[in-house]
Amino acid sequence: MRISPAALLLSLPAFACSTSDSPSTGADLVVYCSLDQDLSEDILLDFETRTGLKVEIQFDVERNKTVGLVNRILAEAQNNPRADVYWNNEIAHTLRLKNAGLTVSYQSPSAEGIPASFRDPEGHWTGFAARARVILYRTDREGPVPHKLDDFLDPATASVGAMAQPLTGTTLTNATVLSLQRGNQQMLDWFTAVEKAGLSFGSGNADVMRRTANGDFLWCFTDTDDAAKAIAQGHPLAVRYLEQGDGDLGALLIPNSICILDSGKNLGAAQQFVDYVLSVEVEERLANSVSEQIPLHAGVEIPAGIQIPGQDYKVMDVDWDAVAVAISSRAIAFQKAFVK
Amino acid sequence: MSLIRGGRSARPWWTLAMLVTLVAAWLPLLPLLEPIVRFDRLAEMLDARTAGLLWRSIWISSAAATLAMLIGWPYALVCTRFRFPGAALFRLLMPLPLLLPPLMVAQAWFGLTGMTGPAATIFTFGMCYAPLPALLAARSLGKQSAAAFETALLISPRLALLSMLRISLLPTLIGGSFTFLFTAADFAVPDYFATVGDLFHVYAAEIFGHSRNFDFAAGATASLPLILIGLVVLLGNAQLLKRQLGFEKGHGRFARATPAGKASAPLMLLMLAFVAALLLAPLARVLFETGHQGVLSERSWLEVSQQAFRNSVGRGRGDIVRTLTFSGAAGLMCLLLAPLWAHLLLRCRNAWRLPLLIILCLPLLVPSVALGFGSILMFNRSWLDSFYSSMWLPALLIAGRFLPIAVFILLDAMSRVPDSQEESAELAGCHYLQRLFRYRLGSQRASLWLSASLVVAFGVRELDFAILLPAANASAAVRYYNALHFARDNFVAAYGLILVFLLFLPVMLHAWWQSLRSTKS
Repeated sequence: MRISPAALLLSLPAFACSTSDSPSTGADLVVYCSLDQDLSEDILLDFETRTGLKVEIQFDVERNKTVGLVNRILAEAQNNPRADVYWNNEIAHTLRLKNAGLTVSYQSPSAEGIPASFRDPEGHWTGFAARARVILYRTDREGPVPHKLDDFLDPATASVGAMAQPLTGTTLTNATVLSLQRGNQQMLDWFTAVEKAGLSFGSGNADVMRRTANGDFLWCFTDTDDAAKAIAQGHPLAVRYLEQGDGDLGALLIPNSICILDSGKNLGAAQQFVDYVLSVEVEERLANSVSEQIPLHAGVEIPAGIQIPGQDYKVMDVDWDAVAVAISSRAIAFQKAFVK
Repeated sequence: MSLIRGGRSARPWWTLAMLVTLVAAWLPLLPLLEPIVRFDRLAEMLDARTAGLLWRSIWISSAAATLAMLIGWPYALVCTRFRFPGAALFRLLMPLPLLLPPLMVAQAWFGLTGMTGPAATIFTFGMCYAPLPALLAARSLGKQSAAAFETALLISPRLALLSMLRISLLPTLIGGSFTFLFTAADFAVPDYFATVGDLFHVYAAEIFGHSRNFDFAAGATASLPLILIGLVVLLGNAQLLKRQLGFEKGHGRFARATPAGKASAPLMLLMLAFVAALLLAPLARVLFETGHQGVLSERSWLEVSQQAFRNSVGRGRGDIVRTLTFSGAAGLMCLLLAPLWAHLLLRCRNAWRLPLLIILCLPLLVPSVALGFGSILMFNRSWLDSFYSSMWLPALLIAGRFLPIAVFILLDAMSRVPDSQEESAELAGCHYLQRLFRYRLGSQRASLWLSASLVVAFGVRELDFAILLPAANASAAVRYYNALHFARDNFVAAYGLILVFLLFLPVMLHAWWQSLRSTKS
C-alpha cells in the first residue's frame, strides 16, 4: 500500500482536532492560579471533590512572578477568553485586569469580614490570605539589622543584607508603592544609594532567603511566606517588621486576590469557586500551610508563629488602584536600572 | 527552474514537510514578524547598557561552546576509536548529560563548588552541552571509511590520528555552534548564578523583561540581534556541512577501533574524569539535595529524602506522563519530518539552500516565550478549541522549534551515504519513502533515533511556551520550576532525578539493544 503525502497532510488536522486528551475538554470551570502550586493544588482538588465539578487548573511559574498568567489572560482575551477565575498571589496585576475591562463584578458572601481596604468596592476583586514584606535575619550572628527602610542606606547594615531586584512579584509591587509615596526618581536614587552602600541584590525573594539561610547574609528583605519556609527548614532565623515606630508607615501587606473573568462561560461555577476560596476554611488552610499566609478574616485559627496585622504590627495604607496604574511603567524603569 | 533534483516522487513529500513546518513553526511567528524587523525601534533600544548585555551573552556563549567542544571532541574520539576496558560503557553514557536540565546541573555545581557568576554559567553550559559535539563527532568517527583510515595508518599513526581529527572536526564545530545558540538564548541558568552570587545579567533577560511587561513587540524587536547572530551561526553550519559533503563517504567497511595497548589505563582514567564531571558529580549532589536540611532540623537525611521521592511520585506523576506524551509525539513527528527536510537540503539546488535553511532555522532562534504568545494569538479560536487545548499543539510547536537540530544531525548522517545507493534504488522503481528510509537512512538509523531523542529531550525541558499552552501547562517542567523557585529543594532534587531517570531509560535500553545486536552479528 502506498501512502500519499496529501492524504497524510489532510488527515493530520482532523486527527488533531478530534483528540480529547485535553484537561479542559468538558471542564465546568477554568481556573488560572498564580499561587504556589503545592499550596493551592490540594485546595482546588478538594473543591472538585466536594462539588463534583470538573476544574481545569493552569499554574504559573515563579520565574514569571504572576505575570505569565496575567499576560496569557490578556492575550487570550483578544480572540477567545478561556479562564473563568483568576487566583492571583498578589494584587496589582489583578487590578490591571480590572482596568482592562476583563473582570466581572461579584460580591461574594464569603468576603464578609475581610477589611474593606482589601476588597474592591465594585466587587471586581477580593483580597485574602496575605503576605507581609519583612526582614528575615539570622539569630546566630550579631550585626546591624534594619528597623526602617532607610536603614538600608547605612553601609554597615547594607553590606550584610540583600533584597530581590524590583523587577517582578511582591518586590516590584513594594517598590511601586514606595515610588508612589516618594516619587519615581527618588526611588531610583534610593536604589542607587543602597547599592552603593553595599546592599546585595538577588533575582527573587526565595533566592535571597536561601542565601540568608545558608549564611551568606545576615539579613534579607523578603516575604513572610519565604521566611516561614526557611524557619520551618530548621535554619536559625527570625522575622522583623519594618517601619513600626511612632509615625512610621507600617509594613506592607500584599494579599492574594481573586476575580471572576469575563469568559462568557461557567459564571455559576466561578461564583461557587470564589465563595469557596474566600471562605474562612481556605484562609485557615493557607495559614496552617508551610507558607503561613496571613488571614484577613477575623477569628481564623492560626498557628502560634503568625502575627496578626493591625494587632501585632502596624500595616501600611496603600492605594492599590494607583499601584495598578503605575506598575507597568515602573517595571520598565526598574528594568533599565537593574538589568545591566 | 526546478527547486529540486530529487525526482518527481520526492516533491509531494518535501511539500508536505514544508507545509507542516509552516504550520508548526511559522504560523505562531506571524504576529511577531513585523515587530521583529523593526530596525528603527531596535536602534532606539540599543544603547550602551543593552550592547553590554549583548556582548556579555556573546562571550559567555562562545566560551561555553568552546568548553563543550574541548570536552566533547576528545570524549568522542577516545571512546569511539580506541579499544580499552570500559569503552563501550563510556559510549553508552555519552548522551546522558544532555538529558540533565541545565538548571539542575547549575544547582548541583553550585552546591559542590560554590562557584557563581559568568564563569559558573560557562562551566554549566559547557558540561551540559558537551554531548552535542561528542555525539556528532562520534557518528562521524564511527562511519570513517576503513580503507582511508588503514591507508593513513600504514603511512604513519600520526596521519591516522589526523584523519580522525579531520573527519570529526566539522561535526564538533556544529555541536559547538548549537551550544552557542542554546547558551545565548537561556535565561534561567545565568539568572540562577546571579542569584546565588554577584548579580549579573545576559541579553536574554532583556528580552524576557519586555515580554514580562506585556510588551511583546518590544520583546520581539529586542530579540533581533540574537536571531541575526543565530542565523549567521546556522548558515555557517550549513557551509560546514557542505564541506563535509566533499569528504570521504563510507563505502563498504567502516574503520574499527584501535587497541589502546599501554595507553588503556590513562585513557580509562581520562574518560572516568569526563564522566564524573559530566554526570556522576552532579547526580550525586542532586541525590544529596533530596534529603538536605538546615542545622536545626531533627529529621534524618533518609527520612527527608524518602518523603521527597514520595511527594514527587505522588504529585508529579501525571505531569511526567503528559510531558513524555507531547514530547514523544513531537519526536515522532520529527522522525518523519527531519529525514524529509534533510533530504531536501541535500538534494536541492544551491540557490534554494539558503532560503530553505532560513525557513527551517528561524523558529529555533525566536525566544520561546514569544512563540507561546504567538500561538495563543493564532490558535486560540473558538472553532479550534479542541486543538488549542490538546496535546497536539505543544507537540507541534516542539517539533517545529527543534526540527533544525534533528535535520542537521540527519544531514550529516545522510551526507555520508553514497548517492549511488539511492539512485540505484530509484532506477529499480523503489517508492520515495523506501529510498529515503531504507537506502539513505538504512545504515544511519542510530542518527535517526538520536535526532528524535534530542527533540524529545529538548521538549521535556521546555518551559517558556509550555506554561502558556493549556495542555502543556500541567507539565513536568512547570512543576519543577515552580517548586524550585518556591525553595522546595528536596522535592526539586527528587523530581529532577526521577525525570532524568525516565529520560535515561530509553537511551540506555536502545544502546543496550544495539550492543546486543552487534554482539550477535
